[in-house]
Amino acid sequence: MSGAAERHSAISVTGFQTAHTLCGEASFRVQTLALLKKDIRAELRTRIALCAVGVFTFSSLLLLALATSSLKQETVLDPRGVMRPAWDGIAKMGMLWVLLCFSAFSGLAHSFVHEETTGTAQTLRLCMQPEAVFAAKLLFNLLLLTVIAFVVTPVYALITDMPIGDPVRFLALMFSGCIGLSASATIVAALTSRARGTGALYGAVGLPMLAVFLILLLNAAHTLYMRDVALAQSVKDTGGLLSFGVMIIALSGLLFHFVWEDL
Amino acid sequence: MAITQTDVRSNSVQISRDSKPGPLQGAWWKWACGLLMIYVIYGATFIAQGAVGFGKEGERAHIVFFHVPCAVLASVAYFVGVYYAIRCLSAINNHNSRSIEDDMKSSAAMELGFLFCSLATITGSIFAGVQWGSFWNWDPRETSIVIMLLLYASYLLLRGAFNDHPARRARLSSVYAVVALVPAQFLIWVVPRIINTMHPTTTLSDPSNTSFTYKAVLYPSFLAFTLLFVWMFQLRARHLQLMEVRRNLHQENSDL
Repeated sequence: MSGAAERHSAISVTGFQTAHTLCGEASFRVQTLALLKKDIRAELRTRIALCAVGVFTFSSLLLLALATSSLKQETVLDPRGVMRPAWDGIAKMGMLWVLLCFSAFSGLAHSFVHEETTGTAQTLRLCMQPEAVFAAKLLFNLLLLTVIAFVVTPVYALITDMPIGDPVRFLALMFSGCIGLSASATIVAALTSRARGTGALYGAVGLPMLAVFLILLLNAAHTLYMRDVALAQSVKDTGGLLSFGVMIIALSGLLFHFVWEDL
Repeated sequence: MAITQTDVRSNSVQISRDSKPGPLQGAWWKWACGLLMIYVIYGATFIAQGAVGFGKEGERAHIVFFHVPCAVLASVAYFVGVYYAIRCLSAINNHNSRSIEDDMKSSAAMELGFLFCSLATITGSIFAGVQWGSFWNWDPRETSIVIMLLLYASYLLLRGAFNDHPARRARLSSVYAVVALVPAQFLIWVVPRIINTMHPTTTLSDPSNTSFTYKAVLYPSFLAFTLLFVWMFQLRARHLQLMEVRRNLHQENSDL
């Protein structure tokens, strides 16, 4: 933190002196909360990101429900020689997260792209620690994604008869998933927000990282839907999913100032 | 105009002096690489005898001599790329001008990784088609390598978006390379333990499955491919640096 403070105290342009003394010296927590509060307030005024991601998710949900309506009666022979429904809980959970991944990569870049297009990113660079910017954007995206998932999941579960399993473990799985997804979406948004064709690039750069995330998530879903599974096994598999997000957050938090203080 | 001419000469001389070939100096190892490759191609066809587990009654499976080194290089190249990405980031931290050069090397390693990854995917798919009767089985290694291919592709895509801004490209692609270590690590350590495998790892990891003649071709093959990788890496890194010099000269000329 002292390094960041030194970097910022080098700024002596009078116009920014006030802003600098106001927030440059403030603690990491105060800066993060201030930016988060500003983002939430701006979002509640315009509701651009919320509406965009929400409508995107619901329309793809509708498309998905139409496309898979004939799958309900299908059964397949799995490798152990047991007949099971083709469109089972794990497949439904996987499809729900494919939807959420695409929604996240359609709308979560907004938080960074908006700062760049309106030019406010420069102010943030001058008067905030880079780590605080990252933390605020990450928390904002996590909040947005959690709200979307909280609204979409019950509707999806109703449409497709997705089983819930143990409610506490289900919620833990969903929340771990939200952490991993918003962490990857945030760092990739920071990386791509200055490119010219941001939209297409954002998904193309971000989604390959999520292939591994989806494998971990399906593994956790498999444990969730097994009968009489020990708590330790659930903790292990959901923890594996959570660790993906935690590792992404740790590495991108360490490296974020390279992305942010780019001249 | 005369000034630019001397600039051109001094600039190019400087670059060729700066990019030292490292510990492998001279041309002897390039000849060694060529001779080893000829030996591997000859040996795969005529020297090696069958290995237990390949085919129905222990066939030679010639493609293994090329598929396995490619697959190993496909993952090693990523670590080489990340090594230079970290060097690039630390150079940026120290305000060292070496950062662009390290970024070029990182890019060269990633491009070669993409190439070897594609080769490993194609040869692996052919081998799977012959061995298991299906060209694609979603075996964990097949899954891993195709995700690895996508990671390389997205790294190169991110670079391509910032072609007109080398300093920014160096920062952003280096950060992406390091952050994408997380999925890459999960691919190596976790994914094979989650999905059931039928990949013949045991055939090659147990020494008693392969005859002496088999090993006598397979191990030199690893060496030959590694030397080939180093050679290609040096050429591509120098090529990228020269392209950068040319770009700078173009800009200077247009400024004049």
